[in-house]
Amino acid sequence: MKRIIVMSLLMMLSVSWVSAQETASSPAKEFVVFTDKNARDNHFIPSGWMGDYGDLKLNDQAMDNPHTGTTSLEFTYTAKKSQGSGWAGVYWQNPANNWGSKKGGFDLTGMTKLTFWARGAKGGETIQKFVIGGIKGTYSDSSTIEFGPVELTDTWKQYTVNLAGKDLSYISGGFGWVTTADLNPEGCTFYVDDIKFEADPTMKPQVRQPESMPFYVYSDRSSIKNHFIPSGWMGDYGDIKYEGSSKEDPYLGDTCIKVTYSGKISQGARWAGIYWQNPANNWGSVDAGYDLSKATKLTFWARGAKGGERIEEFKVGGIMGEFSDSDVASVGPVILNKEWTQYSIDLKGKDMSYIIGGFCWATNIDVNPEGATFYLDEIKFE
Amino acid sequence: MKLSLNNASKKRLTQDTGYKKRLKALCILCSLFCACAVLSGAARPLTHKVYIKTLNAGRYQLMVNNRPYIVRGVCYNPIPIGKNHEYDWWSDAHKPWMVDGKRMKEMGINTVRIYQAGEDPEKVKAVIRDLYDNYGIRVILGHWLGFWEYPCPFYGHKDFRDRVKQQVLDMVNLYKDEPGILMWILGNENNYSCLNMVRPWSNDEIDNEPDPQKQKKMRATIYYSFVNELAGQIHAIDPNHPVALGNGELIGLDVANEVCPDVDLVACIIYRGKTFGNLFNSLKATFDKPILLSEFGADCYDAYLGQEDQNMQAFFLQSQWRQIYDNVANSKKGAGNCIGGTMFEWTDEWWKHSESDPESWLVHDTESNWTNGSYYFDIKAKGNKNMNEEWFGIVALSNTEKEEGIDARIPRKAYYVIREFWKNPQKEIKLKR
Repeated sequence: MKRIIVMSLLMMLSVSWVSAQETASSPAKEFVVFTDKNARDNHFIPSGWMGDYGDLKLNDQAMDNPHTGTTSLEFTYTAKKSQGSGWAGVYWQNPANNWGSKKGGFDLTGMTKLTFWARGAKGGETIQKFVIGGIKGTYSDSSTIEFGPVELTDTWKQYTVNLAGKDLSYISGGFGWVTTADLNPEGCTFYVDDIKFEADPTMKPQVRQPESMPFYVYSDRSSIKNHFIPSGWMGDYGDIKYEGSSKEDPYLGDTCIKVTYSGKISQGARWAGIYWQNPANNWGSVDAGYDLSKATKLTFWARGAKGGERIEEFKVGGIMGEFSDSDVASVGPVILNKEWTQYSIDLKGKDMSYIIGGFCWATNIDVNPEGATFYLDEIKFE
Repeated sequence: MKLSLNNASKKRLTQDTGYKKRLKALCILCSLFCACAVLSGAARPLTHKVYIKTLNAGRYQLMVNNRPYIVRGVCYNPIPIGKNHEYDWWSDAHKPWMVDGKRMKEMGINTVRIYQAGEDPEKVKAVIRDLYDNYGIRVILGHWLGFWEYPCPFYGHKDFRDRVKQQVLDMVNLYKDEPGILMWILGNENNYSCLNMVRPWSNDEIDNEPDPQKQKKMRATIYYSFVNELAGQIHAIDPNHPVALGNGELIGLDVANEVCPDVDLVACIIYRGKTFGNLFNSLKATFDKPILLSEFGADCYDAYLGQEDQNMQAFFLQSQWRQIYDNVANSKKGAGNCIGGTMFEWTDEWWKHSESDPESWLVHDTESNWTNGSYYFDIKAKGNKNMNEEWFGIVALSNTEKEEGIDARIPRKAYYVIREFWKNPQKEIKLKR
């Protein structure tokens, strides 16, 4: 009998040992970015404040209606452009304040999605994008995944970012968000909760779909329809003043774009221009082209402040880098009228399947000796 | 049959019987004829017919002696260390092309592209013959079409066009019967002058046109019509070689499509990094002609890290050659309109950074003076200037050692990588970058 009892005990021990081994070796089903302040399973810290960081306030223990637990994260963005950037955002990093200079991060291979909950204080707050990875430096993240723009509701809503097929072998920027003063002219307050990576076997790699037409580069200052950022300043960039919210006689809507080119040759190039890029400052290093295969033309409205301003070239595509635009098309030189005039870039026969550089203009001092002021509106693919 | 044979031959002939004697005599006669022809140079073997064959589905194949020919080429301008572009390498007593041709043949190169012939026709012929007779390497001969003439190329003026036309026709007449000639390329990136981007030119009619877009079109029409006229006249005197329109990118080819029916193919200068993108399909939609990638490649100097990076060059070149092969006529993958390429370039050229400063021709300059985001590994260099003009060679030049009287050639990694690629284009070779 004693022997049977001993055998039974041994068997029980053996079974419990096996199950512990299985637990230890089976892949994790989720990996928390952030749940509640001081939660033991938080893996990233919301330490990477970007752009107009002076416009940001974080209450990391907001007790008002958390999604789960006792608190959520409350962000307040004033849109006052404290640092003159016109945009702001926060990265959750590991370790804190790691912009790729330190070894940290996690191997999240096996995770196929990131989920988070968010709500706006009033509803209608627009977040330009949420981002996973994308930190560059000596220790760069292995991927960049962007999601957005997102218009928040005043009730909690879960958002899912598909990560299937992405290289998550090194991620130090676990989560982040960015928004702009143009999208939220009066600022905004919003809440985020329960951010985590999950291993969901039903997720499949996302196939890039052709975008529906019309597809806007610029509609209006605060429009969620805007898809590219006028971030690629070229040549004598010091000669350019850009206003994305000019109210000086817009062609349609509340605002238009006003560009002032001084022709002062600040950088000695004798020419200047701006590319609208996706994401901002992407010169082909980020795999983020839109599939605009359905587009047969790009149209835009333009006028000169005096009439007679000469733009050497308006262009679509043409960014060359590790991830190059699939084609390029242009029109020009164009001599602007004082009245709004619509221009068109013919895209028939062009390969618009991968476009990072949605729109571009360039001009030079030789054809505008006194500089030039001009306006643009309703830039869209059709 | 009277034969003029030496004594030894006569002696051997008397030992042979009737039929054998006649056969042997015939062989000797042929040999003597060929030897005399080669020595005299006046009666070279017949020129090989080179032409473009159109296949199904708009695919094009270059044919040489009725056989498909993929151009595995390199741009060739062997300027030694300490000299600049004015150096007459055709007259170099050390014959650098003999050293280079041997190494090119070992690599698998079958064609060199030369931008313009030297001034002495006999020396030019000697180079063409040396390369072809010794190594089977054919020559694509180009002409700048007066692009670098001071103050600018006046394509809008008849006297300028007539003068250039005469030069081109003289070139064709001089070299068309050389068996080593593969084709002619007219111009290089001359189309950029139509956009006023470089070497701008005009005439009264253009100056009187207020619309700058129409001005651009007028210049392009004048220039491409001139090239077409040249192509037509070349065909009249030389039916054996195709005529290519040299062009920077595909810019302006919508106009060429309207006025260049006599051009056989396009020879494009393309620097797009690891990919040519949709170049081949785009050409089909714009100007449906075969394409030779007449200038492409990568430098091997990392302007960001400030050091030579042969892996970087090999990475880009292998990717570019793979795409060329994907788009030749018999490939199922691509557009089928590519006939090959001539990569830039065989040797480094140490004069390029400061072409007017003889001191600098002795220095392998590492300062870049232009930017190209397609070559992204070193795009973070100061001012994004990442292209090092003096570092494009498939072989480096030694400033300490000589071989056969010329700067010793040191093959770079790209030399070996492309050599292996050509041996088996289907095989995937994983490179470091």
